[in-house]
Amino acid sequence: MANLLWLQGGACSGNTMSFLNAEEPSACDLVTDFGINVLWQPSLGLELGDEVKAIVEKCISGEIKLDIFVFEGTVINAPNGTGEWNRFCGRPMKDWVKELSAAADFVVAIGDCATWGGIPATAPNPSDSEGLQFLKREKGGALGAGFTAKSGLPVINIPGCPAHPDWVTQILVAVATGRAGDLTLDEFQRPRTFFSSFTQTGCTRNMHFAYKVSTTAFGQRKGCLFYDLGCRGPMTHSPCNRILWNRHSSKTRAGMPCLGCTEPEFPFYDLAPGTVFKTQTMMGVPKDMPEGVDKKGYIKLTAAAKGAAPAWAEEDIFVV
Amino acid sequence: MDDDALRREIAEKLKSGLKTEVWPRAETSEQVNEVVARLQSEAGDNLEKKLVIAGFTDHVIEADGIEQPCETCMYYKVHARFCELPELMLPVEPDWSCRLWRI
Repeated sequence: MANLLWLQGGACSGNTMSFLNAEEPSACDLVTDFGINVLWQPSLGLELGDEVKAIVEKCISGEIKLDIFVFEGTVINAPNGTGEWNRFCGRPMKDWVKELSAAADFVVAIGDCATWGGIPATAPNPSDSEGLQFLKREKGGALGAGFTAKSGLPVINIPGCPAHPDWVTQILVAVATGRAGDLTLDEFQRPRTFFSSFTQTGCTRNMHFAYKVSTTAFGQRKGCLFYDLGCRGPMTHSPCNRILWNRHSSKTRAGMPCLGCTEPEFPFYDLAPGTVFKTQTMMGVPKDMPEGVDKKGYIKLTAAAKGAAPAWAEEDIFVV
Repeated sequence: MDDDALRREIAEKLKSGLKTEVWPRAETSEQVNEVVARLQSEAGDNLEKKLVIAGFTDHVIEADGIEQPCETCMYYKVHARFCELPELMLPVEPDWSCRLWRI
């Protein structure tokens, strides 16, 4: 039996909604098949007010063993570093977060807000938000760069806006069943099993990427979304086209550019007008290249590939 | 008018000295957006205004050390010899150029 406590800071509840849609395994499977005891969760917990406070205090004191502390949403520090804009059970949430993190065997940050600040931390960041152990790419965050939970692991970051439900439940199962040692984390503390490949990996529009045929307007079935519509699939680490959403689709399969929501900089360019759904260029060349590709090589490859593109690649074609 | 006829008409206009806004090139994304906005608000379906605002030429332009032919542009459909930028949607030749080129 592994005790799990889930709290929300500066959040929209999107990751909770995502979590409740998990299928492999489902949220119910966590309880019935994998021995996870959900002490409290904002959308599932039956307790209210002082009853919740009592659970949280017992976790901190050790009266209840806290195996897994899950946090969703940003840690809010406003105003003036007090955290008073986000109070929970009578005190700033940021104070609960620090004490619970120190008491837990494992700390898991779910979603962009909890991992690196996400949309609330976008400039000018009025709520003075940050993630548990990062603020965008900068390590530190609310718990500090050197934080490790009792297990010896730092915060396990499962980013996304929202995170895919099965990324969440599969990591929770690994931790709860004593297989945390199998987890390897990347430089942003994301589990490598999910975040080593790219969103582009498995994208059904890859043939259009290869032949440098662009989607030039929403609704087209042909073309790659990277060249004009701002898709970040080639430089975003996620398994969105390997572990499909709702088990059958993904943004790019539905014709929607990847927004790069598993990367610390999300939302990119601080959502400045003209930067969303539009590939940013400098003298006609994308500012953000597919990972590992340089400008010179990109131009050469594009010219050659475009010249070799077959006629069918320029026509609408079903890619789902 | 079919694409071949329209392509010939455009070629004739460019050959006969139609002055287009070749420079400055749309260097930044903001400048691209400005040119596209002008195409939407000023050009509409007017062919000459499209050519002028987009800075069409019947030869390749080199900017910042990069050749910018239609042939390598992301809006160019190789087999149809057609520019698919929604604000242009014009038949072109591979060795033409415009300042909205992107690769």
